[in-house]
Order: sequence, then structure tokens, then C-alpha cells
Amino acid sequence: MGPLRIDPLKAMDEALKFNQRLAASFKTLRSLDEVDYGASAKEEIYREDKLVLYRFKGKDKPSAKVPILIVYALVNRPYMVDLQDDRSLVKNLLAMGEDVYLIDWGYPDQSDRYLTLDDYINGYIDRCVDAVAHRHKLGKINLLGICQGGAFSLCYAATHRDKVKNLITMVTPVDFHTPDNMLSHWTRGMDVDLFIDTLGNVPADLMNWCYLTLKPVRLNQQKYIGLVDILDNKAELENFLRMEKWIFDSPDQAGEAFRQFIKDFYQANKLVKGGLTIGDKDVSLKDVTMPILNIFAEQDHLVPPSASRPLKQLAGTKDYTELAFKGGHIGIYVSGRAQREVPGAIHDWLAKRA
Amino acid sequence: MSDKKPTQDWAHDWQALQKQYWNAWQDVTRNATGAAPDPATPWHEGLEQWSRLFADSGKQNETLDRLLAGAKGYMALMQSMIAAAGNKTGGMDPKAWTDAMRQGFSMPGVDALLHGNPLAKMLRDIGGPGAQGFDQLSANFAPFLQQAKSESLSWLGVPAFGYAREHQEHYQKMAAAFVEFQDAVNRYNALILKSSQRSFEIFENKLGERDEPGRQIDSPRALYDLWVDAAEEAYAEIALSDEFRAVYGDVVNAQMRVRSHVQAEVERIGTDLGMPTRTELNSVHKRLHELRRAHKNGSDERVAELEREVAALRGEVATLKRARSMPANVVAHPKHKAVKAAKGRK
Repeated sequence: MGPLRIDPLKAMDEALKFNQRLAASFKTLRSLDEVDYGASAKEEIYREDKLVLYRFKGKDKPSAKVPILIVYALVNRPYMVDLQDDRSLVKNLLAMGEDVYLIDWGYPDQSDRYLTLDDYINGYIDRCVDAVAHRHKLGKINLLGICQGGAFSLCYAATHRDKVKNLITMVTPVDFHTPDNMLSHWTRGMDVDLFIDTLGNVPADLMNWCYLTLKPVRLNQQKYIGLVDILDNKAELENFLRMEKWIFDSPDQAGEAFRQFIKDFYQANKLVKGGLTIGDKDVSLKDVTMPILNIFAEQDHLVPPSASRPLKQLAGTKDYTELAFKGGHIGIYVSGRAQREVPGAIHDWLAKRA
Repeated sequence: MSDKKPTQDWAHDWQALQKQYWNAWQDVTRNATGAAPDPATPWHEGLEQWSRLFADSGKQNETLDRLLAGAKGYMALMQSMIAAAGNKTGGMDPKAWTDAMRQGFSMPGVDALLHGNPLAKMLRDIGGPGAQGFDQLSANFAPFLQQAKSESLSWLGVPAFGYAREHQEHYQKMAAAFVEFQDAVNRYNALILKSSQRSFEIFENKLGERDEPGRQIDSPRALYDLWVDAAEEAYAEIALSDEFRAVYGDVVNAQMRVRSHVQAEVERIGTDLGMPTRTELNSVHKRLHELRRAHKNGSDERVAELEREVAALRGEVATLKRARSMPANVVAHPKHKAVKAAKGRK
């Protein structure tokens, strides 16, 4: 019998159509403008060095009394949370009455090489939290940390309990030594001191390359074969190109912060094993006592669910909720399912803890 | 696999397909560039022609480069699979299909060094605008290494002495570091080759599981997707091994050692010419950050101190205001006098 039932005529037709689509795409591709991003209006409310703190503006005034501050990762740009009109976590949260702020870290250059995790967490994040809290005349606000920004938020919440009312972590690594974590596996053979002493800041292009090598065939070939299927659809093509723009629009990483992050989180796994110190503050997840909503993606190849789930056992809170999203690290923001499930889950969870 | 058609008919169909294919490309490329692709180099030349149409666009070129690389690889596979299907009048077993797939990675247009090693090709293709791997990083210091190699090869192992002793020692160390780096890269490449070979084994196994009716593969795309699953599985097996971790670390660390030697050499030349160096600039940045931290912490403490003082003063003002607003007879009441006296003692 054999494993294949390919009709050669159909196969040839498939090959021909593949080429015809590719050939015909010339017109569509030429007609595209530079893709843009951002669905929601926003205003700058605080600025420091290259960091800008934004407040998003919805159509109506927010009904929530306590605002959310989004702390994004240092890798990649934060506009993923507000990519386009029909793919925006921020827009959906605003529509539900939430008041949403976001830290944009900017693009570090060599003058930022000596920024430490202390500068980022006890400095920048703390001052942004103060700026938002002051504006609302509140003692505590809600924090939403994403990926590496989630790890930062955990550290911040553990050491500034008096300033965080509720903590939401999205695709956040906690246990960096799970067997399926390829990125972590690779970093453990690296001499990160030599790496940073030599490179200074870590080039964004090198970071991108590392991420692409996690799944070299899927991310570097199969994805582009799939692109041919939508080459005649301008809207779909623009969506694809917007994602591409985001993937390759990455900031360099400030050297010292990167050094500490790799050593303490990836190599020594101190969030789990203990002994983590940021600046002059000891960090223990047992001190994260406010309510936590931990959202992770079941098909996440960058932060596997097994890396996020241990938060349940490690955090000191008695009010812990978990949401397993059916999708990947990026799909959790941009997929249709994400638009339907994630903002509503956050809003409902916060409403019960207002 | 349908096998009702005689082999000679497949050849005919294949030629007809090629003709249609060229017609499609010629329509596009002639209109845009006035030139037609060369039918002597099928498939790949058409894709190359297509990409040249965008030479002046500049807008989506990064994506187009990646699309082109992906399409070339895919077309090579497709061509190989279709040819295999067409040349076979009977059903093919998983091994025969795996061989056809392997052949697809050795088609014209694919780098001969990467034949039979699709994962190495994928990893190499990742490098481009927006993604620069260790290969590209090492290309940056290649010119310096050429010089170092030419100066130092004859010195390697020779004891350094005399006027240029330090200079000679430095080049010796740089050359030795480069040899280590090359050795690490070779070990890395060997593991990638191993994962490529393993990908074909897994692919064959996966095909073997598709024998039953209802699970069979019915299109080249589905076959390709199955191969992608196999390739990723094979790569993950290797990439998550302890051996890979050690070799990956060696590649990164060895490259950083070479790079730091090159940087030291560039700094030495810069210093000789009186130019500012990276080290000097780093010192300035470091001091600035330290100053800034000290200033911020200091001002935070001063602000906290001032806030405490303002709160205390506010309290005193409030007490005084309350005292002033009380009626004289209340103030004069002995009981209140006693209270005030008690407060004063606190």
C-alpha cells in the first residue's frame, strides 16, 4: 500500500500553483505600504533616559479604579500588546473599562551598558509605579508582567509589596531549568562574563538569531512556504509583515542587566533555588503575597508551561489563579482565540479583586 | 500513490508543467525587466528572477529574502518528490521516499557543502538582515585574523623574546584562540550533520506509521510538513543533549576569546595613534552610572527626610490651629490645662 496516496497530476498542479501564486504576488507586494502598528491612542506621562511611560486612551473613560501597568520584556518591542485594531490586548482591556499603562524601554545603546537589574527593577519600574500611583492617588496598583517583564514584576512585587495590589504574569518563566527549555539549556555552557566583557551590549540581531535557531526549519522555511498561500491577500499579507516587523525589531540588551539575568535566572535558577538579590534587596517568591493570575501558553517554545507553572508552589500568595491558553508565545497576544479569551479573563479576575 | 499512468506519460506531463511554469514566470519577468529567465536552469532561476523584480523596493526585502530562500528549498523538494513519483509505476516504501527527500536537498542551486545536511542549510539561511549569528559575528573580525595568521603562523610555538616580545605573544595567543574556535565550530557542525541524518531516520519512521488507509499522505505539502516535524524533532533531540550544550558553549566562548584578542589589538593600535578606546569610553559610562545611582539614592533619601519633616511640621501646625480655635473658657478649664500639660510631657 505505501504511506503516500499522492496523485502525481495533483502534485504537479500544486507545484504549478505555488509558482503561479509566487509570480502573481509581484503586484500585491509592490502595492504594499510600510506596515504600521498600534491600535490605541496613548499619551506620554513620564520619561526617563530612553524609557517612556504611556497611558492608553480608550473610547470611554475607564471604569476600573485601579490601573494596570504593563511591564514588557527588554527583548523585542512592547507594541505586540497593541499590534493592530483586531489584535490588541490593550484595546480589549480598554473596552472593558480597564485603565492601562505601559513601559516602553526604548533602545539601549552603549551608554546604557552598565544598567543593572537593580536599575531596571528598583529604579525604572519603581518610579513608573510611583508615577501611576501618584496620578491616581493610590498606594497600590495592578501590575501585568510579560515574559522577562513578568520575571521582573515578580521580583518587584516580592520587594515592594506595599505598591502592588494584584499581579498578573503572562508567559513568565519562573523555573529556568525545566528539561524542555532549550534556551536555558544552551546558556548554561556559556561563560557570560566573557560574553558581556567582550560584546558590551548584546546585539539584537544575535538575540534574533538565537530565537530562530530554536526551531530552524519551522521558523526559517516552513513559515515562508505558508506565506505563499496568502500572497494574493493584501490584508493577510500586511498582518504577516507586521509580525515580521515586530520579530526583527529588537533592541540591543544592556550588558550588565543581561549578565545578571543569565547568571541568576538562566544559569543559577535563583527564583526557584533562592539566593536572588536585586540591588540591596533579597528576592523571595514567598514574599509575593498579593493575588496572582498566572497566564501561560500551552504551545510556548520560548517559555514552556513547565517553566511558568511552578509559581503556584513558590509564591507566598493564598490567592493564586492559573490560565492555560491554547496557543504559543506570540499567539497569546495576536490570535483570534487570544482576543476572545485573554482580556476577558484578566478583566473578570481583576473585577473580583477590585 | 496512484500508479495507473505509464511512465512515459509522466515525462510528458512533467514537460508540460515546465512549460506552463516558464510561461508564468516569463509573463511576469518580461513585463517588469524586459528579460526572460533562462530555461536551462529550471526552478531556481525563475525564483531568482522574481526576487530581482524587488531590487529597488527596499520595503519588504528582508521578508522577501527569507521567502525566496524558503521557496527555493521547498521547490527543490517538490521537484524531487514529483520526479520520484512520476518515475515509479508501483508504490514506494518509506525508505524510497526518504531517499527522494534526501535527494531534494542536493538539487541544483543548493550549496554542495550542504548536500544531505538540511539543518545546516536552515541554520545558515537564518543569518540575514535582522538576524546575525556567530558566523556573521566572526566575519567581522576575519580581516584582523588574516593579518594575525600571516604574522603568527611562523611564530606559533616559538618562544617570544626581544623587543617585540609582547606583540609576538599577543599574536600567538590570538592565533591559538582562533584554532580553538575553529575546532569548536567543527564539533558544532558535526552535531548539526548528525541531527540532519537523524531527521531522515525519523522521517522514515513517521512515513512508516502512515501506511494504514486514512493516515496516508495525499499531497507534497503534507509530505513536506511531515519532514519539517521530523527535522525539528531530530534537531531538538540533539540541541537538548548535554553534548550540544557543551559544544554550543565552546563555540560561543571560543569566539568571544578570539574577539577579545582582536579588540585588544585594535585598542593597542588606537592607543598608539592617540585615539579614544572602547575601554576608556566604558570607564566613563560606568562612572556616570555610579554617579547617577549615588545621586538618585541620595536625593531619594533627602526627599524622604524632607517628607518626614513636612509631615511633622504639618502635625504641629494642625495642633496649634486646633488650640487657637478653642474657646477661651475651654482653654482655661483646669481639666484641659491638665490635658495640655500631659501632652507637653510626652
